[in-house]
Amino acid sequence: MTGTMSSVGLGEYCVSRDSSDVLIAFGLGSCLGIGMYDPVAHVGGLIHVVLPEQKAGNDPNSAKFVDTGIPLILEKVLAQGAEKSRLIIRMAGGANMLTSPGLSGTFDIGTRNIAMAHEVFKKFNLKLKVEEVGGQVGRTVRLYIADGRMTVRMMGSQERDLGAV
Amino acid sequence: MAPDGRRVDEKLLAKMRVVASRGFSNSAKGLSQMIGQELSVHSPDVDLVPLTAIADMLGGPDNDAVGVYLRVEGDLTGQIMMVIGYQQALEFCDMVLDLPAGTTKDFGRMERSALSEIGNLTGTFFLNAIYEITGLTSLPSPPAVMVDMVGSILDVVVATMGAISDQIMMFKAVFQIGERKIQADFWIIPDPATLDKLTVAEMKE
Repeated sequence: MTGTMSSVGLGEYCVSRDSSDVLIAFGLGSCLGIGMYDPVAHVGGLIHVVLPEQKAGNDPNSAKFVDTGIPLILEKVLAQGAEKSRLIIRMAGGANMLTSPGLSGTFDIGTRNIAMAHEVFKKFNLKLKVEEVGGQVGRTVRLYIADGRMTVRMMGSQERDLGAV
Repeated sequence: MAPDGRRVDEKLLAKMRVVASRGFSNSAKGLSQMIGQELSVHSPDVDLVPLTAIADMLGGPDNDAVGVYLRVEGDLTGQIMMVIGYQQALEFCDMVLDLPAGTTKDFGRMERSALSEIGNLTGTFFLNAIYEITGLTSLPSPPAVMVDMVGSILDVVVATMGAISDQIMMFKAVFQIGERKIQADFWIIPDPATLDKLTVAEMKE
């Protein structure tokens, strides 16, 4: 992959050490975009997880689920030369898009995604540096491999940094 | 020998095309009455669509749009989602609220309520058509209106269907109103269990 804007779609991930790359997860609703970046090795990865857990194990795509996606992206950035102790981990998304009172309770997958992510971070001894999650708003996140900047943009607003590197 | 999955799908799809055609024309009739203008339906169809492809069908996940979402409960269960581009949705509100074109600038309480009503009415008329054809009764939930990026709106469908299957059956149609050409993609997404009921249901002429 060289110098491109790489769109990370539903249940996908992308890892890069090319400083001209920007990894993007567009329009996250209840989904989570989780970025991991090593500022020394200049290696970064972004994953776009959809659901909290890989139930029954009949879906082979580990990148789709929070519980299997986090260890997957961790493994991939480490394989590219990142050090676990140096990783800057940031997360955005997990909104509850449905505002109708009769509907929201049943489908609050966003909240379940966030809770599962926190659980998995703890299990793997990973420190979440900053998160912007929940609410009722969609988010687009970008991870710039050049300097490790991760940004969030919402509809009708400017792109802004998600914590410092 | 294993049954030919694809052939079964084709048979079901053919049956569902009849439902789509009748359902959407009934919805259009209801909407025409509500807004007092002739409304036409274009290319009503049914298809099996990969979940990951939906956002691109709507101009990409970063596009601003309005989604009206309803759950369906009863003999049949599923979801109904109407998606309209942001600008088109503003024009749609002008039309429904009987205002001169260009009046609506954003989606406040009144506009959201109008869009809810459109979703509610369209869904109800569609489900009524299904009842007339198959005898299966179901009702829509109160609608939820979302004004956001296409990707995040569709997460609602993806999150509920994603655990079950990577492909979903989708009823699609484009509505056109008079000369102002408003397009609304209108999708009915039946739960997989409901598909079995539709498969065995007797179709009435």
